[in-house]
Amino acid sequence: MKDSHIKNIPHNVTEIILESVSDGVFTVDKKWCITSFNRAAEEITGVSREEAIGKQCCEVFRSNMCEMNCALRRTMKSGIPYVDSSTYIVNFEKRRIPVTVCTSLLKDVKGIIIGGVETFRDMSMVEELRRELDERYQVGDIISRSKSMRKIIKILPKIANNDSTILIQGETGTGKELIAQAIHGLSPRKEKPFMAINCGALPDTLLESELFGYKAGAFTDAKKDKPGLLALAEGGTIFLDEIGDVSSAFQVRLLRVLQERTFTPLGGTKPVKIDIRVVAASNKNIDQLVKDGTFRQDLFYRINVMQLEIPPLRDRKEDIPSLVTYFINKFNKLQRKVVSGISHEVLESLMSYEYPGNVRELENIIEHAFILCPKGQIELHCLPDIVSQSSDLETSQSIDDVKKSVEAKLIISALKRHNYNRLEAARDLGMHKSTLFRKIKTLGIDLPKTDGRSKQKDFS
Amino acid sequence: MKIALAVWKNRVSPVFDSTRVVIIVDIENGIVNDKCYVHIQAHMPHNRAVELVELGVNVLICGAISRVYEDMIKMQGIKVIPFIAGDVNQVIESYLKGKLNNRNFRMPGCGNKCRKRFRGEGR
Repeated sequence: MKDSHIKNIPHNVTEIILESVSDGVFTVDKKWCITSFNRAAEEITGVSREEAIGKQCCEVFRSNMCEMNCALRRTMKSGIPYVDSSTYIVNFEKRRIPVTVCTSLLKDVKGIIIGGVETFRDMSMVEELRRELDERYQVGDIISRSKSMRKIIKILPKIANNDSTILIQGETGTGKELIAQAIHGLSPRKEKPFMAINCGALPDTLLESELFGYKAGAFTDAKKDKPGLLALAEGGTIFLDEIGDVSSAFQVRLLRVLQERTFTPLGGTKPVKIDIRVVAASNKNIDQLVKDGTFRQDLFYRINVMQLEIPPLRDRKEDIPSLVTYFINKFNKLQRKVVSGISHEVLESLMSYEYPGNVRELENIIEHAFILCPKGQIELHCLPDIVSQSSDLETSQSIDDVKKSVEAKLIISALKRHNYNRLEAARDLGMHKSTLFRKIKTLGIDLPKTDGRSKQKDFS
Repeated sequence: MKIALAVWKNRVSPVFDSTRVVIIVDIENGIVNDKCYVHIQAHMPHNRAVELVELGVNVLICGAISRVYEDMIKMQGIKVIPFIAGDVNQVIESYLKGKLNNRNFRMPGCGNKCRKRFRGEGR
């Protein structure tokens, strides 16, 4: 019975097997000429069997290992088979295909070495998946794997190469200054200074002397000349943070600087020419400020050559794990501690928190945890209460209570997203507006006076 | 005019990305004026391209080359003739005669796919 089975196996079974496997297989003789080449090898290399056979294996396989570190050569020399050496081959589209290679000796029936066998596996898919898993875009200190940030990070080099003024908008703590620094760092001005000033923190007179500097004798106690940040940033970049908080009077002075590229220091008589790149930022919606009449339209157009909108952290929560790792590494180095990571519960809490203070708040949360957990894993009790309670569902709560609280959270977040426009929020939640009104009432949700429809009311 | 040929064991090196030696051939009025072997020090695409520029190379003849290397070299104004295989002296001779587009010098498998690229790839 057994013998009859063996008899039924065709004599070319090895060939059939070799043709059916998805790994590329080829054999070479002692002169490195290809003697056999299977179907998968044809597919991976893009070289047909007819063309491959008889040719030098390096000209068919075209791997970066061929010259220096050929696995098959090592095997032929030492007799030792090699398993899973990683390398890449170059195809006719000039694309690198990552492959793993296994090699062994090829012997005839008498055991005499007649060449070598190489099998190789296309790892493109695995590499792609690995890259996707690891993928996080990083420029300077900005780390992100979210789509919205990826878009920004991708265009940063182009923006940096241009000298146009940039307006960065985003909530507090989203990393506007980091973006400005990244633009400067990627620009041809990177060897020159990067100067940052928070325009909202200083009264006009102080802001003026900080930015423009002053001449000796300009005012009492001005004993010698003091260069302003504009002069210090010569050739580099100046970052004007919170530009939306600048007074109307100072906006005129800024406009002149941006238009003329000159400024006059306090007490000075001659205008000074400057060559700087201006990056402005605001956590307020400047467009709205222009509509409200508190921000000059001409200055807005001057600074708004290119606008970058940094999304808040709650809209890109996929960034939280990599940011946490980044901050843990940072604080480990800074504070010489050995915190290994965060527990699953901590990650859950961090993911469900809303982060009104954005990335800066997350950094503070990790720093807080470092004080309470100097080593090992960060546990839930190391987090500030406001965060650790964010994912808490009290066990004493009934299902109805939990449902109500989840409903309320969803409604509030939808309303916020639509600037408290009830109709839009109802559409977003997939319910009728009267259902939304009823739920707002029964759940006791407090709403601000504005309702998102705005205009009619504003003028009334 | 100077051409650079990526070389390995007297044949065109199979993959330019990992080539260590190039022959610099100085050609004047269609005749080889001078030939010398140069060890390429740089590994990164941009640095390799700069090294070729510093050697005064106008044309690079090589085997397989990945896109990033080719782009960097082209950006430096160097013409790239890729996917060439064969004995180095024969390749130089054929280049001088404007016959490098001969099938014998194409890397295996570069038949139909590369035909367009090879058009006019003589001198």
